Amino acid sequence: MTGFWQALRALARLKPNQRLTRDYLASLALAVLLAFAVGAAVMLLCGHDPLASYAALFDGALGRPRAIGNTLAKTVTLCLTGLAMSLAAKAGVFNVGGEGQLYLGAMAAAVVGARLDASAWVVTLASLAAAMLAGGLYAFLPGVMKVRWKVDEVITTIMLNSVAIYFCSYLANGPLKTAERGIATGTDSILPQAAFSSLIPLSNLTTAVFYAAAAALVIWYLMSRSRVGFEMKLTGENDRFARYGGISTGRLMLWAMVMSGAVCGLVGMLEIFGLHKRFLTTVSSEFYFDGMLVAMIMRYQPLGVILMSFFFAALDIGGKSMELSAGVSSELILIVQSIIIFFMAAEGGVRKALGERALRRAGRRRA
Amino acid sequence: MSEATEIIRFERVSKQYPGVLANDCVSLSVRQGEVFALVGENGAGKSTLMNLLYGLQAPTSGEIFIKGRKTGPQHSPQAAMRMGVSMVHQHFKLVPGFTVAQNVLLGMEPRRGPFYDQRRAQERVRELSEEYGLKVNPSDVARDLSVGLQQRVEILKALRTGADVLVLDEPTAVLTPQETEELFEVIRRVVARRGMTVILITHKLPEVMRVSDRVGVMRRGRLERVLETAQTSEREIASLMVGREVLFDELRTAQPAGETVLEVSSLRAYNDRMLPALRGVSLSVRAGEIVGVCGVEGNGQTELAECVAGMRAPSGGQVRLSGRDVTGQSPRAIRRAGLSYIPEDRMSMGMDAKASVWENLLLGKQRDGAFCLGGIHLRRGRVRRYAKELSRAYDIRLSDVDEPAGALSGGNMQKVVVAREFSFDSPALLVCQPTRGVDIGATEFIHRHILQKRNQGCAVLLISADLDELFRLSDRLVTLFEGEVTGCFDAGSISREEIGYYMTGNREVKAP
Repeated sequence: MTGFWQALRALARLKPNQRLTRDYLASLALAVLLAFAVGAAVMLLCGHDPLASYAALFDGALGRPRAIGNTLAKTVTLCLTGLAMSLAAKAGVFNVGGEGQLYLGAMAAAVVGARLDASAWVVTLASLAAAMLAGGLYAFLPGVMKVRWKVDEVITTIMLNSVAIYFCSYLANGPLKTAERGIATGTDSILPQAAFSSLIPLSNLTTAVFYAAAAALVIWYLMSRSRVGFEMKLTGENDRFARYGGISTGRLMLWAMVMSGAVCGLVGMLEIFGLHKRFLTTVSSEFYFDGMLVAMIMRYQPLGVILMSFFFAALDIGGKSMELSAGVSSELILIVQSIIIFFMAAEGGVRKALGERALRRAGRRRA
Repeated sequence: MSEATEIIRFERVSKQYPGVLANDCVSLSVRQGEVFALVGENGAGKSTLMNLLYGLQAPTSGEIFIKGRKTGPQHSPQAAMRMGVSMVHQHFKLVPGFTVAQNVLLGMEPRRGPFYDQRRAQERVRELSEEYGLKVNPSDVARDLSVGLQQRVEILKALRTGADVLVLDEPTAVLTPQETEELFEVIRRVVARRGMTVILITHKLPEVMRVSDRVGVMRRGRLERVLETAQTSEREIASLMVGREVLFDELRTAQPAGETVLEVSSLRAYNDRMLPALRGVSLSVRAGEIVGVCGVEGNGQTELAECVAGMRAPSGGQVRLSGRDVTGQSPRAIRRAGLSYIPEDRMSMGMDAKASVWENLLLGKQRDGAFCLGGIHLRRGRVRRYAKELSRAYDIRLSDVDEPAGALSGGNMQKVVVAREFSFDSPALLVCQPTRGVDIGATEFIHRHILQKRNQGCAVLLISADLDELFRLSDRLVTLFEGEVTGCFDAGSISREEIGYYMTGNREVKAP
């Protein structure tokens, strides 16, 4: 649950919808460099060669086609969950319940994928629709409570995570448990022809990446170029102003929440149809919280989220490989990630302090 | 100094903020026992200059002398007070639950043993109040006092250390005409009786003429000129302030009013603290007239505006717009029914400071076919072009329409709001505090546009705390007191003093 607490803490610090200024990107680059430096120091302390280890990290993330495939597959998950978070945050609502929406989406996709008797294409698309519907409906609930009765959505969405995860776990262990042998907890496998096919042999990269790319494009367009995105932005930044100007802010927030949930459902479906081919309770290990972090670091800007997802995915995949080849524990990567997050969360305050010092110094020089 | 001793001297004082030169080589001397008015537009540097004197900030270069002694680099409000300079800020800093005595002596309370000595405190405050001729009751609780009395307490607080220079920052901004008159009495009294020096920061020229001995005009950080008040005119000061001739022309032309467009009847509403704020307000505005709502702030003006615009749900009564009942409808529905609205609270309701100027100008038109393809695609190129045109038409000074609206100056921000709201061509216009915190140039501009709207047949409901503005623009005036209408007058047939009388709760027609 560390990711979860980190996310909540960062949540309290970062304000939504701030622009990605040049200053901000510069401090981000600095944070990344500093994080790597601290990582190197830790490695030296533990008796590892930092240069060799980082080389192993890079090689593990991007060195071979298979590594690139795994990195891209991880990017897909991070990026879509990050965009889901951004979508809601843009309109000023915080969807912390993506994990539950993801589980329900995965379960819905697995059920439709296994039960629907139709041609492969139809099964794939029907599962996709079912997953998005499940995720969206599950987000509708906290959304309505927020808009109608002003119930804090951060609390309700967190709570609903557990409900969804344990409900899916119950289904996979009970009523929907497969009869196949060798599967401890899981549903029946989906129609094999309907599953996504592998793009790079032995890697996790499948044709799911095309669906993800299409979804990312739509979300980017919606957030940055469309009329609805404009209304969402104003609602998120100043809902009093938006309402004053004739925007139905309540309806917009509700829709943003539902769309966010639908994207999380889609992530669940992509995981099932790409990787597991059936619902397993291990379908996600807090993927949504990782995505939330990426979204918050990049201040909910879609393009930034996409790029940062790739970076974090490379760290994740490369870190695992580094553990195997250079013997450096992959926890080191957690340190690096945490330091980046730490610096970015503190960025505003640090920059202000630096600026004030510079001003004071300039003042003294003049005096 | 020939006729009087000099008490304060600024010598080539400059203050540089990042990107702004707030004070540019200001040299000024203030004489003992005079009322010195410091006037200038917003951002002209008057408050900055006084903050330097009071030690809130340090000058970038130059020297300040108080009674011939140079202020050091460690100058602070405490040091300024020790040297006899006190300042009363625009926003009062009283503790609402404390008595007058407790507030005045805050931080230097008389004690008996470890305890606060109430009797001695009240005595001390009574002495102070007699000494300066500022009547207060030491045992009153601050929150129950009128704004004018609260200000008096603030002044006493500033005088408690025996100051002989008193700086007042925009002291009349929240006062009724009567309270303003009383404040001037107080100023004259402390000057005459105690030989005090008063520096008055203001941008209300009639007040300058009435109360000051000399006036210093600031513009863009520079001290333009220091004039003897008796030898100058409002017109001269105004043109020095803006750097050109200001037209105090009669902008209004007589014109018959048309049909009733906006009608409010027995409107009731609660404020945010769930106390009744409107207790049955009725008024109507016809096409081609401006109805001004006067009242001391906090008497229901905010709630009236919000109810009319749909931002607050009324608890009773009716709002009719062009014959349609729009009571309690959403802001969006009311806009569609034909209302444009300039809210009093620019930063939190009138604009999104973080969003760009073009986004702020677009709001309300984002569904128009001209700016939106098929209800989905925002035509950003067109919107930007439109925003540029609108900025030109309304003289909004900016480097680029992509600039965040919050980076503009106060006057330009307000012009963004005005430009957006006036571009809808709505039959009804609700205008609240349109020139608060806006400089003379922009005020002039905004007033002209409001009158132009009226002349085009728009029904305008104007809510303002600025009597000059109300008298200048309105055809009819309505006074509001504690959520009730206390009078309704033709603007030409009533004086300011009379209006002040009704603003403070007296009724136009007393029941027999």
